[in-house]
Amino acid sequence: MLNSIAFAQTALLYLGYVLIFPGFLFCFVVGLLLTGIDRKVVARMQRRVGPPVLQPFYDFFKLCGKETIVPDAASRTVFLLAPLVGLASLVVLQLFIPVFKFSVFGSLGEVADLIVILYLLLIPAVAVMLGGASTGSPYAGVGLSREMVTVLAVELPLVLVLLSVARVVGRETGRALVFSLNTIVSFQTVSGSLITRVSMIPAALAMLMIIPGETGSHPFDAAEAETEICEGLLAEYSGAPLAVFKLSHAVKLLTMTSLFVALFLGGLGTPIAQLVAAVGLSGELAAAVTMLLQVLALVLLCIVLTVLTISFVHAVTARLRIEQLFKYYWTVVTALALISLVLAWYGY
Amino acid sequence: MNWLSYQHFPIYAIMVLFLGAFLVVLLGKNRVVRAALALLSVSASLALLVALVPRVMLGGEIIAYWMGGRGMSGGYAMGIALEVDALSLFFALLVAVAVFVACLYSIQYMEHDDNVSQYYTLFLLLAGGVLGLVLSGDLFNMFVMVEILTFAAVALTAFRNTVTGALEAAFKYLVVGSIGSVCILAGTIMLYAQTHTLSLAQLSLLLPGNLNNATKLAFALLFVGFGTKAFLVPFHPLAADAHGAAPAPISVLISGVLTKSGIYGIIRLVYFLFQNMDLGAIRFLLVVVGSLSMFVCVTMALAQHDFKRLLAFHSISQIGYVLTAVGLATTLGVSSGLYHAMNHTIFKGLLFLAAGAVLHETGTTDLNQLGGLAKRMPRTTALFLIGAASISGIPPFNGFASKWLIYQAAYQKAVESGHIGYLLVTIVALVTSTLTLASFIKVSQSVFFGRLPERFEKVKEAPFGMRLAMGVFALLCVATGLLPQAVVKTLTLPAAQAVENVGRYIAAALGTEMPAIRTVTAVEIGVWNPINWLLLLGVSLLSVTLVALLGKYDRVSENEGAVRAGGKYDLFFGGEKSVHSQVGGGDLFWGFKHNWRHYFSFMHDLHSGVVNDYALWAALALALAIVFSQIVL
Amino acid sequence: MFKKLIEESFGKSPWLFHINAGSCNGCDIELVSVLTPRFDAERLGFKLAGTPRHADIVVVTGPVTRQSLQRVLTAIEQVPEPRCIVTMGSCPQSGNVFRGSYAIAGPLSKYVPVDVDIAGCTPKPEAVIDGLVKAAEILREKRRAMK
Repeated sequence: MLNSIAFAQTALLYLGYVLIFPGFLFCFVVGLLLTGIDRKVVARMQRRVGPPVLQPFYDFFKLCGKETIVPDAASRTVFLLAPLVGLASLVVLQLFIPVFKFSVFGSLGEVADLIVILYLLLIPAVAVMLGGASTGSPYAGVGLSREMVTVLAVELPLVLVLLSVARVVGRETGRALVFSLNTIVSFQTVSGSLITRVSMIPAALAMLMIIPGETGSHPFDAAEAETEICEGLLAEYSGAPLAVFKLSHAVKLLTMTSLFVALFLGGLGTPIAQLVAAVGLSGELAAAVTMLLQVLALVLLCIVLTVLTISFVHAVTARLRIEQLFKYYWTVVTALALISLVLAWYGY
Repeated sequence: MNWLSYQHFPIYAIMVLFLGAFLVVLLGKNRVVRAALALLSVSASLALLVALVPRVMLGGEIIAYWMGGRGMSGGYAMGIALEVDALSLFFALLVAVAVFVACLYSIQYMEHDDNVSQYYTLFLLLAGGVLGLVLSGDLFNMFVMVEILTFAAVALTAFRNTVTGALEAAFKYLVVGSIGSVCILAGTIMLYAQTHTLSLAQLSLLLPGNLNNATKLAFALLFVGFGTKAFLVPFHPLAADAHGAAPAPISVLISGVLTKSGIYGIIRLVYFLFQNMDLGAIRFLLVVVGSLSMFVCVTMALAQHDFKRLLAFHSISQIGYVLTAVGLATTLGVSSGLYHAMNHTIFKGLLFLAAGAVLHETGTTDLNQLGGLAKRMPRTTALFLIGAASISGIPPFNGFASKWLIYQAAYQKAVESGHIGYLLVTIVALVTSTLTLASFIKVSQSVFFGRLPERFEKVKEAPFGMRLAMGVFALLCVATGLLPQAVVKTLTLPAAQAVENVGRYIAAALGTEMPAIRTVTAVEIGVWNPINWLLLLGVSLLSVTLVALLGKYDRVSENEGAVRAGGKYDLFFGGEKSVHSQVGGGDLFWGFKHNWRHYFSFMHDLHSGVVNDYALWAALALALAIVFSQIVL
Repeated sequence: MFKKLIEESFGKSPWLFHINAGSCNGCDIELVSVLTPRFDAERLGFKLAGTPRHADIVVVTGPVTRQSLQRVLTAIEQVPEPRCIVTMGSCPQSGNVFRGSYAIAGPLSKYVPVDVDIAGCTPKPEAVIDGLVKAAEILREKRRAMK
């Protein structure tokens, strides 16, 4: 009896995680907020007034109210299911990224490590590719080609970054290798953020360059260039499925920036905890306040990262052609990540 | 010994296949009879092997079976032996499952061909040959089985000899395959001349630490011979031709089963006969050949525009993963390599069968001609997508589970040994996996999605029997992906344990005292819990879907009548009604290819398609291997 | 609540799809100028969409030539409901200087109901923004009228 109550409590807790924090509601609000801030900052940099920060919310709700047209050539199931699968897998991925020390899977053991996350990041991309391809639109064909090449381009440096992080943390914890994201973050809360290490600075730079590529924003948005190929894969989407895709795109911003925070800035949660302790709070209240402040700090960091990697870059660059994009990632960014890996390998 | 005793099961399992092969010719006039006969013999074989699982896999028992009761005499193993340890049984099970499903599929797939009874005969000969190879306990028998399976495979490649290129492919396969077989024969002779025994167990006892130039030569010959059977680089062009021409179930056997026999041979060679995996050079050899196969073949696959040829190159690429992992010489490496071998058989089988279904319904596998089949063949599409997700390593399917273990094994090896080269292997493996995804995205776009050409408007779904066979594979893809711990524990770890307990293998055959089992454990550094992930995904997908349905997500407007409603449901392309250009399959990833254009043009020039060149490559590979073995062994 | 939210959003996020039906390019440039920093229609939520599937407001410029008629109608048809049709400049409304030409099939209102006409040759950006805001309001009304 007691067991079943405990089980029900756990189940409810996890339902809460999935639905509210750090699941759907959090992703929805913060993701769209990040997009709104991005649009506003870009507008301000171009000396425009710019849309209100809440514009992405209006866009989302408006799209929900539109008619959904399934083209003749599309296969209905894939067309309608792909956005949902993409969003759901992204939200689940967000659960795996710890908010400083807080992880959803504290008691139950971790579900996925760095390499798994690398692959889970592919699922939303595959979902949008299959969804777009299912419409049979020629624009989607071109978009799919570019999207896949972008994924290919980003994958190599991302792998190198993750491997060097795994090596650095592994060496310092005496375990050779650490792939667990929770361990990486809790290591940082004790011995400071990874970005302070010499070997990690190039990797962090590379990761900053990966964020716009992975989220498909300027100048790496060849895949959804709305002026030349009509948003490519999304060309035939309308109404609610389009809204879901736009939402996934926004959530991906959150995922990538919070992944950066977890990988390189994981130590920033410690001063907050110390601050709360210094004020004289203790017990559950302190935990709650710390948590709240840390979430705020995470959101703030995500905003800063978005502005830094996406808005600033967006405002001052023009779109790269797809083969330039590929070349850029496999030379410049890969070289940065490789330097980091070699430094990490030899113990700097 | 009692006739029903389990010691007889391995030989029965081989015999029923060969028996079936001859009975099918004799009695196979009737469609139903021959299908029933073939299916009966493969399922009997499968059942016999499954019955051995508890003892051999879980109990760690090794069955040494001497034909006709003639065993050792005068300290030498004279009789013909079958020796079944967990490694053999592991491969045998792979073979049996793949053969069973392929047979199931053949029933409807081959309906419209001539001489189907001969087809079944060759099919069963091939199956029996591979099974005999992996269960055999002596080297000469392995050669005999290699010959049987090679010739059956050659004949089956040319089975549809009306298909353009079938005879050519068979001829190429015959020439280079024979070079491989001759290598194996020559190696066997060398070893026999030096040691006076053919028993694998006794060779494993005599050879290590006791090498002369002749046995070193034998190593090179056997390595190249088995490498040919696995189509490793530089023998990969054969596979592409053979797969392109052979009927789909045969492709399943060639890629899922025949290549595995090559891998099996190499494992027996380096871990048992010569036991030289502690030499850095041999690990280097395996890992380099493996990584080369992995990378070269995946890039070759990107350049293909034929569905089956593309799959053929991928199958060698995946074999590259297996060889690389096995070459790491750690328990985790061997176990994950074998896991990947198993997964490869399953998902590549599924993909070949899906390609077969497309060929069966549309009559072509050319990516540039196909398109939009998802609307006409939704079930085949779903099954194909499962296979594609598996091979590209999309969680939670099986390809991901094993690849993930391989990355770990390689990185762990890199850190432990301090060699930065293994790090490179990890990176190549990860990039290869993404390239694999790219080429399967290409297939989905060019075959199942995209525009439906007018001449395929009337295409129908694949028949039930074929879908059933694909369904079995798809189910296995999901099951082995969701339960990695269980699979490792019951199947691959026992096999890896057998690899590390060579002493027991020797003792079991020679009848000496068995050394105690050295239990092995594979230390995983990563965390991956697919069931929990799937639960979370399920919950979140369910909640999105619920919210979406509450918000009338499914209230869509579709074209309901045959009447076209003013172009509302047409595709949008800038208003030009007549112009519709689909990016051709071969050109889909030009952004990638453009940056690699020098590499691709080099590869293009290299793969001339002339059998003389390929024979030359084989000779070159052999020469290199001989020099290599003389220097390092 | 959501119904209200959606209705309100319709006025705040109208996406434009621009069709050139044989225009002299004057109006096209003027439409783009509306989105430039000086006038910045994006502050009102306006955005140019690449395909009719994403659009709410279709802006037609040009006198609707015979060549373009069918394409214009198809593209308009492909815009999901609720949608607004705006003509920009005098051409699609009257034919302007091209009136009477054998090559002209317009005015557009012969074929589809037009919601807002922005007059002028070419209309000033202020007028364009005004017209588009009216169209956005009509859009919201149309949404409200939907079940």
